[in-house]
Amino acid sequence: MNLRGAWALIKRTWLSWLQERSFFFLLAFGWMISPLIYLFVWSTAAGAGTVVGMTRGEFVAYYLILILVNQLTYATSNWTVGDMIRYGYLSGQLLRPLSPFFDTLASEIAGRVVFMTFVIPVTTILAFVLRPELQITLGNGLAFVPALAMAWALRFIWGYALALLAFWATRADALVALQDAFIFLLAGQVAPTVLLPGALQSASVVLPFRYMLGFPVEVLMGSLGQAEVVRGFVLQACWLALALIAFLTIWRAGMKRYSAVGG
Amino acid sequence: MRHLRLIGSFVGIAIENALAYRVNFWISLLHSLLSFGTGVLAIVVLFSQVEAIHGWTLTSTLALLGTYLTLAALRRLFIGPSLEALAGLDGEIWTGTFDFTLLRPVDVQFLASIRHWQPLVILDLLMSGGVLVFAVVQLGRTLTLGSLATFLLTLFVAVIILYALLLGFAGLVFWSPGFLFTWLFNAFFQMARYPVGLYPGWLRLVLTWIIPVGIMTTVPAQALVGGLSGAMLVGSVAFAAALFVAATVLFRTGLRRYASASS
Repeated sequence: MNLRGAWALIKRTWLSWLQERSFFFLLAFGWMISPLIYLFVWSTAAGAGTVVGMTRGEFVAYYLILILVNQLTYATSNWTVGDMIRYGYLSGQLLRPLSPFFDTLASEIAGRVVFMTFVIPVTTILAFVLRPELQITLGNGLAFVPALAMAWALRFIWGYALALLAFWATRADALVALQDAFIFLLAGQVAPTVLLPGALQSASVVLPFRYMLGFPVEVLMGSLGQAEVVRGFVLQACWLALALIAFLTIWRAGMKRYSAVGG
Repeated sequence: MRHLRLIGSFVGIAIENALAYRVNFWISLLHSLLSFGTGVLAIVVLFSQVEAIHGWTLTSTLALLGTYLTLAALRRLFIGPSLEALAGLDGEIWTGTFDFTLLRPVDVQFLASIRHWQPLVILDLLMSGGVLVFAVVQLGRTLTLGSLATFLLTLFVAVIILYALLLGFAGLVFWSPGFLFTWLFNAFFQMARYPVGLYPGWLRLVLTWIIPVGIMTTVPAQALVGGLSGAMLVGSVAFAAALFVAATVLFRTGLRRYASASS
C-alpha cells in the first residue's frame, strides 16, 4: 500500500477544491434547498400543534440534522466515476502506482471538507432563526457516530458500485438518478420515515436507502426504541456488507473488460 | 416572420438530433417518470398526515404541482438549455465563443433565448398535463371556457416571469463570468413546487416580491381551483411586463460589458 502517495493525493484534491469553493458552495446550497422546503412545509403543517407526535421545533431539528447528514453522506463521485470510464480518463489513473479507488476516495474526502465549510455555518444561522427543539442524550450521541459512519460508507460504496456499471452500459448514470429518487422518498427526506404511509414505511425499513441518510438522524433525535435501533444497525451492517461484495465483484469484472477509447 | 422561421429550423435541428440517440429516449422517459412520481408521492405523503394547510388541500396542491411541472417542462424545452449554453458551466461567455453569436445578423437576446431545444421534454408536458386534468376532475369543478382561458393566460404570464427571471440571472454573468447564476436560480425555482402559503411569513414575502417564483405557480393554480381575485390577475400581468422590461434592460446593459475571453 502506497499510503504516503494516497495521503498526498487526498490532500491535494481537497486543497484544489477549496480553491474553487464558490462552485462547490453553490452545489451545496442547491442540495440544501430540497430538505429546507420540507422543513418549512412540515413545520407549517405542525403549526402550534403536532403531526404524529412531532412538534414544529422537532421538525426543524430533524431537518437541520438531515441537511448536515445528507451533505456528509452524499457522494459526488457517484456521478463522476461513470464519466471517468466513459471518457477514458480511467486509463491515466490506472497507470499510477496507486489504485484509482484512492482518486475517488480523495474527491470524496475533499467534498466533505468543502461542503462542511459551507453547510455548518449556514445550518448554525438557520438554527438561531428557526429555533429547533432537540435534546441529545449521551447514548444517542454515541450511537449516532457509527450510524453516520456506516451511512456514509453504504451510500458511497453502493453508489460507486452502480457507477461502475458504466463499464458495460454507457448510460449507467440513469441508475444513480433512480437511486436518488429512492433516497428522496424512502430515506427520510420527503418526510421522517415514521410519517410515511403503510407500504412506503415498510419498504423504507427493509430497503437500504433509509440507512444511507434517515437512520442516523432518527438515532440522534432519539425517536427510535431500543429494539428498533438494534434492528437498524443490523440491517445497515448487512446492506453495507452486500454493497462491499457487489462493489468488489463489479470492480474485478469491470477491470477485465475495460478498454479505453483512443484519440 | 423571419424569427418564426428561425425558431422552426432550430426546432427541426433539435428533433433530428434527438432522433439519432434512441437510448436517450428511454433515459428521458425514466427521468420524466421519476420527477413526476416523486413529486406526486411527496404530496400524497404530506396529505396522508394532514387534511389541509392554510386552505390548501391534496387536490388543490396537486393542481399547483401540475402547474409547477408544466412550467419546469416549458423551461427545459428551450429557455433553460439556451440560456445554459450562454451562461452555464463552460457557457459561451465563459469560453468566449459568444463572439460568434454576436456576429450573427439576428437580435442577440432573441438568438440566445431560443437556440437550443429539447424535444423529448414533450414527455414531461404530457405527464404534467395529466396531473392538471386529474386535479381538476377530482375537484369536481366544471371548467367554464372563461376559467380555462384565465388559466392559460396566467400560465403564459408565468412563462414570461420565468423567462425574465432566468434572463436576468443569466445576464448577471456579464458582471461576474464564471459564477453559475442560473444554478442559483435553480435552487430558488424548486421552492415554487409548493404554494407560497405553506411557507413561513418572511419567506412568503421573499418568494412573492424579491425572487418571485411563488407567483409563477400559485396564481395559475388559483385560476384553476378558484380563489383568484381580479386585482391579482391584473397585477400579475403588469408585474410580468415590468419584469420582462427590467430583465431585457439588465441583459443589454450587461452585453455592453462583454469583452470576450481568450486562451
